[in-house]
Amino acid sequence: MTNSIPEFDETDCFLITGSNTTEAHPLVATHVLRAQRRGAKVIVVDPRRTQIARLADLYLRQRPGTDVAWLNGLMHVIIQEGMYDAEFVESRTEGFEELKAAVAEYTPERVEAITGIPAADLVTAARIYAQAGRAAILYTMGITQHTTGVDNVLSCANLAMLTGHIGRPGTGVNPLRGQNNVQGACDMGALPNVYPGYQPVTSEAVQAKFQEAWGYAPPLRAGLTVTEMTDAAYHGAVKALYIMAENPMVSDPDLNHVRAALERCDFLVVQDIFPTETAEFADVVLPGVSFAEKEGTFTNTERRIQRVRQAIPPLGDARPDWQIICGLAQRMVGMQPTREGRFAGWEYCSPAEIMAEAAALTPSYGGVTYERLEQGSLQWPVPTPDHPGTPYLHKDRFTRGLGRFTAVAYKEPAELPDEEYPFLLTTGRMMFHYHTGSMTRRSEKLEREVPEGYVEISPEDAGRLGLGKSARVRVISRRGTIETRAWITRRVPPGTVFIPFHFAEAAANLLTNPALDPIAKIPEYKVAAVRLERVA
Amino acid sequence: MERVALVREAVKRLLDSGQVEGVLALRTVGPGSAPHLFHPGDSLDDLTLWPKYPLPKILDMLLAADPSVRLGMVARGCEERGLIEMAKRNQVDMNRIRLVYLACTAEERDECCCSWPYPSQIDVGDKVEGTADALVAEHERLSLAERTEFWKRQFARCIKCYGCRTVCPQCFCETCVLEDNLWVEAGVLAPPFPSYHLIRAYHTIGKCVGCMECENACPADIPLTVLYTLLRRDAEEMFGYVPGRSLEDLPPLAVETLWQTGH
Amino acid sequence: MEYRNVLTTCIYCGVGCGLYLQVLDGQVVGTWPAKGHPLNDGRLCVKGWYAHSFIHHPERLTTPLIRDQKGGPLRQASWEEALDRVAQRLMAIRETHGPDAIAFMASAKCTNEENYLLQKLARSIIGTHNVDHCARL
Ligand code: SF4
Ligand code: SF4
Repeated sequence: MTNSIPEFDETDCFLITGSNTTEAHPLVATHVLRAQRRGAKVIVVDPRRTQIARLADLYLRQRPGTDVAWLNGLMHVIIQEGMYDAEFVESRTEGFEELKAAVAEYTPERVEAITGIPAADLVTAARIYAQAGRAAILYTMGITQHTTGVDNVLSCANLAMLTGHIGRPGTGVNPLRGQNNVQGACDMGALPNVYPGYQPVTSEAVQAKFQEAWGYAPPLRAGLTVTEMTDAAYHGAVKALYIMAENPMVSDPDLNHVRAALERCDFLVVQDIFPTETAEFADVVLPGVSFAEKEGTFTNTERRIQRVRQAIPPLGDARPDWQIICGLAQRMVGMQPTREGRFAGWEYCSPAEIMAEAAALTPSYGGVTYERLEQGSLQWPVPTPDHPGTPYLHKDRFTRGLGRFTAVAYKEPAELPDEEYPFLLTTGRMMFHYHTGSMTRRSEKLEREVPEGYVEISPEDAGRLGLGKSARVRVISRRGTIETRAWITRRVPPGTVFIPFHFAEAAANLLTNPALDPIAKIPEYKVAAVRLERVA
Repeated sequence: MERVALVREAVKRLLDSGQVEGVLALRTVGPGSAPHLFHPGDSLDDLTLWPKYPLPKILDMLLAADPSVRLGMVARGCEERGLIEMAKRNQVDMNRIRLVYLACTAEERDECCCSWPYPSQIDVGDKVEGTADALVAEHERLSLAERTEFWKRQFARCIKCYGCRTVCPQCFCETCVLEDNLWVEAGVLAPPFPSYHLIRAYHTIGKCVGCMECENACPADIPLTVLYTLLRRDAEEMFGYVPGRSLEDLPPLAVETLWQTGH
Repeated sequence: MEYRNVLTTCIYCGVGCGLYLQVLDGQVVGTWPAKGHPLNDGRLCVKGWYAHSFIHHPERLTTPLIRDQKGGPLRQASWEEALDRVAQRLMAIRETHGPDAIAFMASAKCTNEENYLLQKLARSIIGTHNVDHCARL
């Protein structure tokens, strides 16, 4: 996120898209709705009429996968009606003429034809957003999990820059990260193309820095992403997989393919707290501990670094995950020629020492220490020990200097409904479960609330298929089949069905399309074509 | 002497007296506070008074965990009254409890819009008079149709966190009706109007002492206590019953024989 | 009787609400929302309220497990044996097939420190940039 959640109390307009905010980020919704009661306007653009959509001042329902079209449409109206921030565009950005040319053809009428959003509503939304004092865009995976995910994100950035709704409190482009420490894992370099602090693996200077620190740094070539790893395992290029607290057998697209890949792996290590679906394939299972049994830090969606504190000793023989990695590293180091470097060692007494090392090598974490975190959280960048942290980014300049508009054209999703697979399937989260369910489905109260998966289907479609309340239904895509329960609801429009992905026994990801965004390598979880059959 | 220092002294006296194994109070954590069980000999330097947590609920859990333990607690007016209602329903045994009675300050009273910010006796603090909740008065000016509309709008924001129920010291049913699919369809957001919220509201009658914990826990910022305050007032008008006033008063919904054999 | 509260951070969504774990005699028995926290100030969603409830679940893994041959059963093992096995197998695969024949999935559920260590291990010991986590999923 460019901005902070508490700043939303000052926001005048929220443009929320592809985010089921009250269910997936409930305490963000608290701040949004508080602002709404104070007079802020809430615009929601989402194929599903979720709770936040029902609470919105203006709700636009687009066809899944048409986001670039309506975002360009908003910009078209804003430029046409002269509502853009000319001064901001002039002094802080470049590429405006290209953008203007690119959005020129996205008239409200044409956008209505592509997206299904009524032209008049698009114009109203454009006016509310552009004319607000402080407007914030909030989005989640509904924007990113497309083959055009990067285009969608660029379009959101274009819109914010065009109207000058960035670089001030209560504004910005704010992706809400789905998982508690997805931000931190990225910050710490758990990515194939960057070291900690987003330092590119392709830079010689960066390589030299880590060579010096650790005594070794790999060649200047990015590694594999998660989805590429499974592919490589399937094709034999990757022989060994080490999986720490992830569950690709539920979370990844096209699970039949994932299963075959895991089976073909020569050696699979799973480090987790529960016997997950993925652990069933493991050669070695290493028992880690829950957050209650270890010290550490998490970084939330607004770059806020917060402490995790140990409440009880590890259960049984389980070990904190950091100790497991250290134990393994010490063994492997012993099997290699010695490596010289300031941080080549693996003798940490505590997570505080690990953070000290990470901070020394990660410029944006440079001023982070456990002593400071005792006093409260810190938002990165915090480059030095006396830096107070950064609630919002891009105050006076963008990271690259001038913000660049990137003209983007609408492209269709990779797979659309056809005669054989007439429904559009979209997937996502819900309130009572989390990710692959390994924790929430073992929580009695949460599991009572929603003990099994379901497919949301409109009353019209249910009628056509002869489905009654809670009828069993088979959902079939080109990649797999699941059996689940029908939930007849107006949350989804006719022609679209929704399945939450938390349920291993009716796994949405047996159906999803592994087609990737060419740059972000994110799979198109939000659009696939399926067929539905009533189970007799 | 400062108020918190006086409380520390009183807690120390109680711990030293040997009457209790520990005293439940609040401990400073960063800029906030957290419930904590202090033992004889513990440093009381970080004992603090605010922000408050539902201590009666915790006391209930601790007493149940060890049927022989005797415990002390620092109690504000609402917390004492809460314990009284819990005792009437066999949740806590007053004979196993020793209280340090604390009167709330004017600022604390205002934060809770509290009408009764002091306990039945006062060990520490000075009694300040209660205040009326302006929202309640505002609500009373609404017509019936407007009220329905008002609550519909409020409850549409509910995210079914169960927080209002989970913090409530007076919610101690073994199985909660809110988790019974017969009454409230599971898994639906917002939960069905009005069943979820009216079931909870009716369950507070004769028990709710206005401690504000539910409203402060509500991520949807729903003014829950407006509803409960109105119900409390009705119960007083109809049955002359005031929750927490005394251990002897019979709750309006209790069956007399059960109630007597319970003690 | 020991009862205390430990301030920590919710493990579910990316908001990162502050919460206390209630510890009674060595067992985590509940949570309280942290009042005064900049994000949630005394509130939680239902997942946060029950963030403690899987901790003592009977299915928790509490000992290392090894599968001696593909398709065979998992058996209990000591840490010595399990870590030796992993270290030897990974180093052998690295020897035969090169560092890029090994890939690491780090985790959005683990701490910053643990993610830092896993990528350090992948990069500085194995010598591969094959490290990622399910940020995109
Ligand atoms: S605390 Fe508020 S949001 Fe949570 S269940 Fe109660 S009324 Fe609903
Ligand atoms: S309590 Fe709910 S809103 Fe807060 S971090 Fe946890 S999952 Fe997110």
